[in-house]
Amino acid sequence: MEIEDKIIDATKEIFSSMVMMEIEVKEVMEDHGPLTDTITGLIGLAGTHKGVLGIHTPYHVAMAITSSFLGMDVDEINEDVHDAVGELANMLGGNVKSILSEKGRDIDLSLPSTIAGSQYNFQSDKQVEKIIIRFDTGQGDFMVELDLEK
Amino acid sequence: MGKNVLLVDDSSTMRKIVGRSLRQAGLDFDNIFEAADGIEALEVLENEHVDIVLSDINMPNMDGISFLREKQSRDNVKDIPVFMISTETGDDIIGEAKSLGALGAIKKPFTPDKVNEVLGPLM
Repeated sequence: MEIEDKIIDATKEIFSSMVMMEIEVKEVMEDHGPLTDTITGLIGLAGTHKGVLGIHTPYHVAMAITSSFLGMDVDEINEDVHDAVGELANMLGGNVKSILSEKGRDIDLSLPSTIAGSQYNFQSDKQVEKIIIRFDTGQGDFMVELDLEK
Repeated sequence: MGKNVLLVDDSSTMRKIVGRSLRQAGLDFDNIFEAADGIEALEVLENEHVDIVLSDINMPNMDGISFLREKQSRDNVKDIPVFMISTETGDDIIGEAKSLGALGAIKKPFTPDKVNEVLGPLM
């Protein structure tokens, strides 16, 4: 199974079992433009595979995800939204680590962090292989992006 | 009579989710204490009666492995059972956690059924 398929399976499992949302793949992309009114959860990978995993969630999708995740209404981008999107990146990062390294000792994960803004670019200054998958939550789309150094 | 559990995770979201999963799994805890890292967790263990600890591994300040190591060195808390709840479930890191006293691990993401399957026998 390709890494891309495993990331799709892992993302669907996280959303189904933890966020209580069923999601579908909308498209697999090679690149994306500037991100608008978006919050990105990211986690770095170091070791035998170096790179970054990001989950790009437009504000309205991030609030819907956090509402479902926590079982409460969320109507602003607050600390809970940052924490929830960061934790999603953390869980996805753990799965990607398992995909790339069965034993788990030859890749280290950073702690998750988030960035948010009205418009920003998400790109590496290194040569990277990108896997970008757009998912549909039924309340808007989000993207999962894995950039691995070549 | 229910027991007391300590949830250790730097994500407040995940602490809420784990707490919700414990309730959904029908596990009867009197008190659910929370800590954001190993340092806070040790403070809770020193000051409260805790029956079971559920701890993340990848945390700032003091991670789950360092927490286990420090807990093992303290006679008054070393026998309190710990389960890891983490995305980090590689054989090596879980093996290290078990060598430091962890009873097992629950992989994120998880379901209430999985929580019940692992913790139910201890209740």
